[in-house]
Amino acid sequence: MLDTLGLYPTWYVPTIGTAWVMGIIGTIHVLASHTSVGASWLFALIETKSVTENKPELMEYIKKYGVFLLVFSYIIGSITGPGIWYAITVASPRGVGGLIHNFVWVWAAEWVYFTVEVIGVYALVYLIGKIDPRTHLKLTWVFALASWATMLLIVGILSFMMWPGNKSWYDTGSTLDAFFNLNFFAHLGLRTAFMFAIAGAVGGILAATMKDKNVRIEITRFLSKMGLAGVFLGMIMWMWYVQTLPSNAKIIMQTQLPGYIAPTLFAVLGATLVYFSWTAWKPMQLKQGFAIAMTAIIAIAGLWPEERSRESIRKPYVAGQYIYSNQTIARDVPGKQIKSNLPLIAEKGILATHPFVPESLRHVTAANRLQAGEFITKVMCANCHSMGATGLRPMIQKLHGSTDVAQIKAYLSGALYNGLVPYMPRIPLPDKEQELVAEYLASLSQKSSHLQTIALATKGE
Amino acid sequence: MELDSHSIATTLQVLRDPAGIPSHPIVFQVLMIATWVFHILFVNIALGTAGLSLYAFAKRQTPHWERLSIGMTKAAKVSVSMLIVLGVAPLLFTQVIYDPQWYSSNILSGAWAIGFIFTLILGYSSWFTFYFKNHQGASGTVVWWGIIGLAFFLLDGFIMHALSYQALLPDQWMSWYAPNGKVDMSGTHIHAWQAGRFLFFIAMSVTVLGAFLKAYVNYYRVREDYEADYLTFVNRLGTKIILVGVVAQIVTFTWWLADLPASFHAFSSPLALAIFAILILLCGVSLRQQKVPHVTSYQALAVTVVMAAVIATFRELLRMQYMLPYGYDIETYKVMEDIPSTALFFLTFIGVGGLVGGFFLTAIYKAGRTQGVYEASPTVNKLANSAIGIMIVWVGIFFMVGIFTWVSNTL
Ligand code: HEC
Ligand code: HEM
Repeated sequence: MLDTLGLYPTWYVPTIGTAWVMGIIGTIHVLASHTSVGASWLFALIETKSVTENKPELMEYIKKYGVFLLVFSYIIGSITGPGIWYAITVASPRGVGGLIHNFVWVWAAEWVYFTVEVIGVYALVYLIGKIDPRTHLKLTWVFALASWATMLLIVGILSFMMWPGNKSWYDTGSTLDAFFNLNFFAHLGLRTAFMFAIAGAVGGILAATMKDKNVRIEITRFLSKMGLAGVFLGMIMWMWYVQTLPSNAKIIMQTQLPGYIAPTLFAVLGATLVYFSWTAWKPMQLKQGFAIAMTAIIAIAGLWPEERSRESIRKPYVAGQYIYSNQTIARDVPGKQIKSNLPLIAEKGILATHPFVPESLRHVTAANRLQAGEFITKVMCANCHSMGATGLRPMIQKLHGSTDVAQIKAYLSGALYNGLVPYMPRIPLPDKEQELVAEYLASLSQKSSHLQTIALATKGE
Repeated sequence: MELDSHSIATTLQVLRDPAGIPSHPIVFQVLMIATWVFHILFVNIALGTAGLSLYAFAKRQTPHWERLSIGMTKAAKVSVSMLIVLGVAPLLFTQVIYDPQWYSSNILSGAWAIGFIFTLILGYSSWFTFYFKNHQGASGTVVWWGIIGLAFFLLDGFIMHALSYQALLPDQWMSWYAPNGKVDMSGTHIHAWQAGRFLFFIAMSVTVLGAFLKAYVNYYRVREDYEADYLTFVNRLGTKIILVGVVAQIVTFTWWLADLPASFHAFSSPLALAIFAILILLCGVSLRQQKVPHVTSYQALAVTVVMAAVIATFRELLRMQYMLPYGYDIETYKVMEDIPSTALFFLTFIGVGGLVGGFFLTAIYKAGRTQGVYEASPTVNKLANSAIGIMIVWVGIFFMVGIFTWVSNTL
């Protein structure tokens, strides 16, 4: 028993890798969920205005946005929420398992909110005009607070994925220490700011369709102000957030992110500021198409690179700086009686300790060397690297198309064995398995056509 | 290559999460079963009302059927939302105590697990489209939106079933992962299913639909815009549907039991017998109610809730039997007590679930039964104020604890 590692089978997705599967579902979810939390606050604020200033016509807007939200956020948001679990499950089962086992009660509490929220959104939308306005206003405020509570609860878990930020949790294993980690509050501020901005942008899609001119102007101005407030708060929170990141994240941010990311994010930020200022100044010029375009820009050019970066800068870990994204446990965590997997890997290798090694690969022969090498490589590397020439950090490119087994092995026995690369796991394979992996990796480049290899090698990164 | 039960036992042990679990395993097991009861009930209501709305759509020349089709489309729409949120809780708890089984099963069919998410989005969007288009005098072609929606729901139910069932067969995982010794990491296959078991849950949808219709009648009986004539029609239909469902359930349940390993002695299991008994009881009651179609109540629905609870327990006992040869016992899961987070859940469940959930549900229930505008009674008003109160207190405590913890760990 002591000689077996807790490694699951691997699901290998060609080219895009499981990381992108997670990224796609995650981005859709973030868009839908932040819109719905932000909108709940918008509803509460506008409805307060409607009741105190006696402007029942404003409720028409809430009704419209609410129905839209039901379709857009609640179908997509509530399915992609568990969808993220499914995606991490098949990409990084140890990662999701680790989070579940540290935070099950937090998630269970979030589920309580999630359930009342779904009931609440139906109540909010369908009871407009069916119950007295004061009671409805209370309902909307409770809904807004409950929606925000789901955010409060998830942010601690997400930011623990980055790191605890201090050593207490490793010693105590306490959920509170893990949850209120170093970057919790900055991250919460960032997401709260973002939810106002995105709800402001999406809200424009509906505001532009309001028939009553005064209502349309009033709502559009309100959305603009909320959006601007969100963007400014977001910028401040971003600066704080960056300060709370671990050093591996800072290194990756500075050296490893694709060059287009920072300029793109700045461009989106600028566009958002211009957009909200414009719509505040000339509310009647806000057309539905603009609002849809703005939402799409934020989602595709803002959120997608941001989500992908957040995931990249967490490398090589998936959670708490103790689980690597290739399923291995990177260190001891005394507070939870968790032991590192690395000594056993260094001693016995993968083929002898992985429970899902086919019997035919347990004993390496001349005939199955390549298959054995492929198995180890996919288990240890495929979570972050595609085995082809294209796609996610393609291995052929990263190795500059090398077919030199000794050279590749030197990399495995040097940098990887000793964990010298800050954004890659320590992968201490024993000598025999380094040889197998190196042979397999070399064969990848041999396979791809000679010309292509040269082209890639000269193009470099 | 098949594995012997000793190495399977080892594998299951090491795949357990090394962090252990923060409370006694039975707590999670009970919550898993209890929350799954509501998941499956809403699955049944969703599939049942969706099916009926399509059937009624075909007969929409008759006003009663048209009205029913529209009503059922809406009911299915809400039920799918509910089945999703109510699926999240058992999904969480099953991952706590059965993580080796659930994760292995999901990874071995990775493409299906992810396909489940996207097809559910497509199916639900299609259903929403049907809902927006299915009104009086709707053209015949709109029904395709509904058909596509329901087809995806059924597909998703089947994926759920296969993932649950594959999780019970660890001795076959290796042969799925590496058929003939060749590793297949594509996750594009469904490896195992059990027709009797899956069809049983579909048949159950018929029974639960019948009970739901009778409850629907009882709920709307007080509204003047729901004529007695229509309600009696629905009530009579409900009884008939229950009878059909009960027979289908008896057949499929027998099929399921017959497919189980002989060592389970399934036919003499007390819970299996209890399920047969409930079905026969429901049959008898419905036959009697057929004679008095104007009498309405929530009785049948209550019986189906009990039935679902017994089925959920039976399903869990089966899982324990499947795991017996491998010595997998949730009671041996490493427990690392965590009192604060346990308290967080239970207090939130009682306080927020009770007051906020209670407030929302009461408002919906009362307003739905009122024609025109509902004026909150003093009790409902008090409930509303307590809901606001509990939220403020909750957020306040959250930040106090958070700031204290953060400051003491960071500074
Ligand atoms: C946790 C994710 C992760 C895993 C697992 C991983 N890598 Fe990497 N690897 C990275 C990242 C991040 C980079 C940075 C490259 C980039 O994004 O441009 C990288 C870069 C590389 C490079 C380029 C040299 C360098 O230092 O930048 C090589 C070669 C490489 N990886 C080989 C491997 C091999 C071989 C394995 C498996 C034994 C492996 N990696 C496993 C994340 C990973
Ligand atoms: C239309 C959509 C769905 C349908 C028709 C459906 C149907 C079912 C059925 C029939 C089962 C029983 C399977 C068996 O025991 O053989 C089941 C189990 C389950 N479902 Fe769903 N389901 C749906 C969506 C969901 C969603 C969205 C979630 C999660 C968020 C979910 C979570 C679960 C869980 C956790 C189980 C139990 C798994 C186990 O204990 O092994 N379901 N579902």
